[in-house]
Amino acid sequence: MRGCTCPGHFSRRDFSRLLAGAFFLPRLPVFASPELTQFPFEEVRPEKSGITWTHTSGKSPEKYLPESSGPGCAFLDYDNDGWMDIYLVNSGKCDFFTPNQPLRNALYRNDRDGTFTDVTEKAGVGAGGYGQGVAVGDYDGDGFPDLYVTQYGRSILYHNNGDGTFTDVTEKAGVAAPGWSSSAVWFDYDNDGRLDLFVGRFVDFSKELNKPCGIHDDGLRHYCIPKVYSPMLSWLFHNNGDGTFTDVSKSSGISGSLGKACGVVATDINNDGLMDLFVANDTVANFLFLNRGNGKFEEIGEPSGVAYSAEGRTRSGMGVDSADYDQDGFMDLFVSNLDRELYSLYRNNHDQTFDDHAGQLGIGSATRLMSGWGLKFFDFDNDGDVDLFLANGNPDDLIETVHAQVKYQEPMLLFRDTGKGFENISAQSGPVFSKPLSARGMAVGDFNNDGALDVLVSVNDGPPLLLKNNIGSQSHWLGIKLVGKKSNPDAVGARIAYQAQDLNRSRMKVGGGSYLSDHDPRIVLGIGKRTKLDWLEIKWPLPSGMTERFADLPIDRYITIVEGQGKWK
Amino acid sequence: MCKRVRKSFFIPVSVMCLWSAAGVVAQQPKSATKPELSPERAIALAEQGQCRESIATLKRAMGAQVASETQKQAGVVGVRCALAVDNREAVLDFIRLLHKQFPRDPDALFVVVHAYSDLSTRAAQDLARTAPQSIAAHKLNAEALEMQGKWDAAQLEYEEILKKEPNARGIHFLLGRSLLSRPDAGPDVSARAKQEFLKELQLDPNNSAAEYILGELARRDQNWDEASSRFSQAAKLNPNFAEAYLGWGVSLVGDQKYQEAIAPLRIAERLTPGNPDIHHALATALVRSGHKEEADKEFAIHRSLSSGNQRAAEPEKPE
Repeated sequence: MRGCTCPGHFSRRDFSRLLAGAFFLPRLPVFASPELTQFPFEEVRPEKSGITWTHTSGKSPEKYLPESSGPGCAFLDYDNDGWMDIYLVNSGKCDFFTPNQPLRNALYRNDRDGTFTDVTEKAGVGAGGYGQGVAVGDYDGDGFPDLYVTQYGRSILYHNNGDGTFTDVTEKAGVAAPGWSSSAVWFDYDNDGRLDLFVGRFVDFSKELNKPCGIHDDGLRHYCIPKVYSPMLSWLFHNNGDGTFTDVSKSSGISGSLGKACGVVATDINNDGLMDLFVANDTVANFLFLNRGNGKFEEIGEPSGVAYSAEGRTRSGMGVDSADYDQDGFMDLFVSNLDRELYSLYRNNHDQTFDDHAGQLGIGSATRLMSGWGLKFFDFDNDGDVDLFLANGNPDDLIETVHAQVKYQEPMLLFRDTGKGFENISAQSGPVFSKPLSARGMAVGDFNNDGALDVLVSVNDGPPLLLKNNIGSQSHWLGIKLVGKKSNPDAVGARIAYQAQDLNRSRMKVGGGSYLSDHDPRIVLGIGKRTKLDWLEIKWPLPSGMTERFADLPIDRYITIVEGQGKWK
Repeated sequence: MCKRVRKSFFIPVSVMCLWSAAGVVAQQPKSATKPELSPERAIALAEQGQCRESIATLKRAMGAQVASETQKQAGVVGVRCALAVDNREAVLDFIRLLHKQFPRDPDALFVVVHAYSDLSTRAAQDLARTAPQSIAAHKLNAEALEMQGKWDAAQLEYEEILKKEPNARGIHFLLGRSLLSRPDAGPDVSARAKQEFLKELQLDPNNSAAEYILGELARRDQNWDEASSRFSQAAKLNPNFAEAYLGWGVSLVGDQKYQEAIAPLRIAERLTPGNPDIHHALATALVRSGHKEEADKEFAIHRSLSSGNQRAAEPEKPE
């Protein structure tokens, strides 16, 4: 019997089970832009882009868990020529994997004509360990972005020498972070004007600790659900300003919480000018590290309402991001989870608490059977509202043997912010949104400098996907590169407000976001069909905290604003 | 309908009949049994298919001073034998004895599972045979069809009932539930299901389950006023309905009425203290209404219960 109609004999669990198979068809509203004449994104094939590198996961019969978790990717301008280059992370030799031929990460230089050239060897950033992700930041303030590559085993800090080459300075810097590192983020937690480094750590794992996991009754060995592995402490490194870092994980309170960190974003949830950290954990409660100042963090995931689902259950948190999607002046949070868990859109209640509005805004139903990784809030159509891009794929390559409705490779999703909520416009957005992928990392950047933010998706055991944005440039925009002088060089934490006729918007430059990935450091401000940007205001991060206002700004081009100079160029 | 009854009922029946015969070679031979038949001999006879002759001795063997393994074997064979000769009273006797004497024995539990299943199937057959046109038969058939994923056929069964008896209680509820269950439901499924639950309430205003599901549907749409109203009505109709109090409290939390949410959540906690969802909701209501210390206690209980649940689930994952 499947329950009865007797009063009281129907539980929330029954209801959840009922709905497990329901609502799975996403609502597909008509794309609202009448001027749309082409699909918003199109794939730039490797033969055209020149990006021929492929990720190798080293899938084995033993199903070592790291095989399923990577890789990440990044947009960065390593040579400061104003054009976004690309960094891709690969696996490599480790205790459970010896590749048949040497594997390496890849750095592709932007040739400024839509093609890229592999410069990894010259740059010296091939890594070689079992890579996971990458975080980009100018930690020494020399104007050139440096690379932190997270790995299973030992992570790497590559210092950018400014001449097209990098030097591995991990030992000198003291940021090797042994163990299985996942996402990392550069941000200035103590507002001393230097970028510090958070490194998320996943579970306690080694070849010896690998567990044979089977789920259900298909008799096949599956990748383990991470709940069978022990949680670990993440790392926080304070930048000493002399090329070295101090491990402040304990004194800061970061290591007071055992987790299974996946995605991380540095944001400011209470507008106090101190950067907080939101960490998605897999199968345990998410962390919201509230920056209390004086180098201390307080983990407030539970009381803030972002640790669990609305029902109080842990989920498989993967990718994260933060943006003020509803423009109420407070930063909101997003987490992608696994199938049948629903993704989370946590709206900020302005009192250090959040409520999950994913269901109400249509994201819940669209992601019911999906497993998400990389994601980012950004304004793909430059209408002034932040949209949402999600990269998906189930971690279990045998999932289809046990769940008929769940797929291993899944399509990406695109949600458009209508001002009232999010519309799932994936189905109307072209063939790239029906392409099944084992997507993991996802980065946003404008590789052709047309003001339309493009997307790079890294794929587990496959080639990356470069997506060119076709419609962002149909609206007007202004791109800004912020250079901090008193504040941190990358201006992480800066707030930008702007007005274009009736359009008034604000943005915050968050640190990181997505999964294992990093993004174009420039900020693109969309103004739709309006032809003038009236003014722009930058509130620089502490320690300066100064506000600069600019008028008579150009549109449809990139400018650079250096803190304290009162002008743009 | 009869055709469908046969089709849907006979699938499990055939499986179960095969199972009950599996441990019994034959049932036909009959021979006189001596009163002093030993338990071992009775077991042997039963395994040879001489069930009618051995059942009484097997029952006695379970209470006799014999080896525990013999007792268990007598119970296991006894269940199979009693099923083979369709002596349902004897089946229940053996189940009761196995439960009492071998409550955690995997072999005993395995047999009991199959015995209950077999009895269930036979009762279903009885219903189909004796009252094939009854509402109960239609309902049972519809449920069987749902379990086989034949949603359209199940819906037809429910509609058949309503044709015969438009005011039959519970049918609109089942139709709504079926709609929410089917994986191929369209995007308007919740609206369609809602109509069925509303119809159910017109016929049976005391159906707290219908109120509850309407509350859940409203909660999912973050329609907090309706959700609170539905859940509170469900709780009023059934004061022991812990989930209704939980839904009520969660809806009030969603509506940022944190202080108001505490009372129903306290009742839910009292009714089912081991439900981590309740402690999480209560902790949230408490912390957001300024009761930090109490909230911390509830968060700690939630963590403890959740980790307990997780630990309980963990052994299933690694082989």
